Amino acid sequence: MASDRQGAMVELRGLEKSFGSYKVLDGISGAVNKGEVIVVCGPSGSGKSTMIRTINRLEEIDGGSIIVDSRDIHDKAYDINTLRSKIGFVFQQYNLFPHLSALQNVTLSPIKVAKMPKAEAADLAAHLLEKVGLKDKINAMPANLSGGQQQRVAIARALAQNASVMLLDEPTSALDPEMVGEVLQVIQKLAEEGMTMMVVTHEMGFASKAADVVWFMDQGRIIEKAKPEAFFNNPTHPRLQKFLSDLLH
Amino acid sequence: MLGFLEKYGLFYLTGGWPASEIGGFAGTLILAGVGLAVCFPLAILIGLARTSQRHAFFISATIWVYALRGIPLLMVLLWSYFLLPELTGHSFTPFTTAMAAIIVYESAFMAEIVRAGIQGLPKGQMEAARSIGLGYWQAMREVILPQALVNMIPSFVNQFVSTVKATSIVYIIGVSELTFVAQQINNVEVGNPIRTYVVLAFFYFIPCWGLSLLSRKIEHSIKARQSSAAAVR
Ligand SMILES: Nc1ncnc2c1ncn2[C@@H]1O[C@H](COP(=O)(O)OP(=O)(O)O)[C@@H](O)[C@H]1O
Ligand SMILES: [Mg+2]
Repeated sequence: MASDRQGAMVELRGLEKSFGSYKVLDGISGAVNKGEVIVVCGPSGSGKSTMIRTINRLEEIDGGSIIVDSRDIHDKAYDINTLRSKIGFVFQQYNLFPHLSALQNVTLSPIKVAKMPKAEAADLAAHLLEKVGLKDKINAMPANLSGGQQQRVAIARALAQNASVMLLDEPTSALDPEMVGEVLQVIQKLAEEGMTMMVVTHEMGFASKAADVVWFMDQGRIIEKAKPEAFFNNPTHPRLQKFLSDLLH
Repeated sequence: MLGFLEKYGLFYLTGGWPASEIGGFAGTLILAGVGLAVCFPLAILIGLARTSQRHAFFISATIWVYALRGIPLLMVLLWSYFLLPELTGHSFTPFTTAMAAIIVYESAFMAEIVRAGIQGLPKGQMEAARSIGLGYWQAMREVILPQALVNMIPSFVNQFVSTVKATSIVYIIGVSELTFVAQQINNVEVGNPIRTYVVLAFFYFIPCWGLSLLSRKIEHSIKARQSSAAAVR
């Protein structure tokens, strides 16, 4: 299924990357098809963040190629800002703009990048904030929002780009436990609506409900790709078996 | 003392103005204030270059900053005094010459404030700004500078204070700023130099002290706002 090139929204081909002499990505290949949700997990330091960040070029690669929506993202003629506007990125630390209200955080890209009229952008943002359950926080400043609320604004901000794929790097890892659910619920809803997503997370409950495929990364490689049932019930690789049993304890 | 102030107060404040170029305390404030104001856009560009990934920008800005920070203002002043007319073929008033020297010299210090302000923001701010599709300049204008500039206010105020004090050196090329004016008064009131220079000291001390207090206050309120922002998280 992952080799269905027709339907691939994101395709990673043999990604290589080193920090100095340390190889972080060691031949990563895989595809995210349209409408598919890929969950990526693996031990800390295995290269998950680096991999997901190469897709919108927050990190550059040393080798291999990346195709997003049928275009090579490193093509010289491909404007990097256009590429990035097609990809929604959600950070572990939310990274909301603290000097802007929730609404302004969400309208910034539509107004400045998509050149949408301000009123239209405000309508869109209001709609998206309502969708993530923050209708009454439209004019709140980030500092006055809880972590879970901030992350939901960040998701709305990414959705406002009308992106063709969403990348989420440990979206709930910085949250207090009681706020994890509200954020996962929003992501799950997006998944059900058919949003193409790559989610780095250790929330295995979420993975088994929402993922079409789970990738397990270790030492810069993807060493297992499987549907959630197989992934959790019949893990083949010993390191994955250890990872899963560690998660339970 | 009162008689002395009555006689020379205005002279301390504005020099020979309006008969001649404005000077005295006002001249000092104008040199420092206008100097830094003109410096500001320059400092932003140099400060941005100091954070740039592009080597050509980074290296030229770094040389500029380190060279200027490594020499005294007096040297830049003398260069402007002798070189400026030579290079341009025009002659400049001492005031303009001093202003040019201050702008050039302070650009290095102001640029470092800008650099520190930008680098003081979390890396994630630039990453998030670029991730939503903003270009470098858009990200700077919409996301980075609005936050960084607020954080820079205390440093700018401190820089203004230190510039006010540093301008005293320009009396050497005949700019009739505060120190120069005191010198002139001393030439007349030869009997009591202490009084003349104590009054001079107060003219420097009072605004500088007031502004230092203000800058500390602003710094506290910024810190308080940031920590309350962090606490809610
Ligand atoms: N900018 C960087 N410079 C040097 N090493 C880095 C950098 N970013 C990440 N690394 C290293 O690369 C490895 C993989 O990091 P990362 O992709 O963040 O892993 P994960 O997200 O799976 O925890 C880690 O060992 C990390 O220390
Ligand atoms: Mg990570």
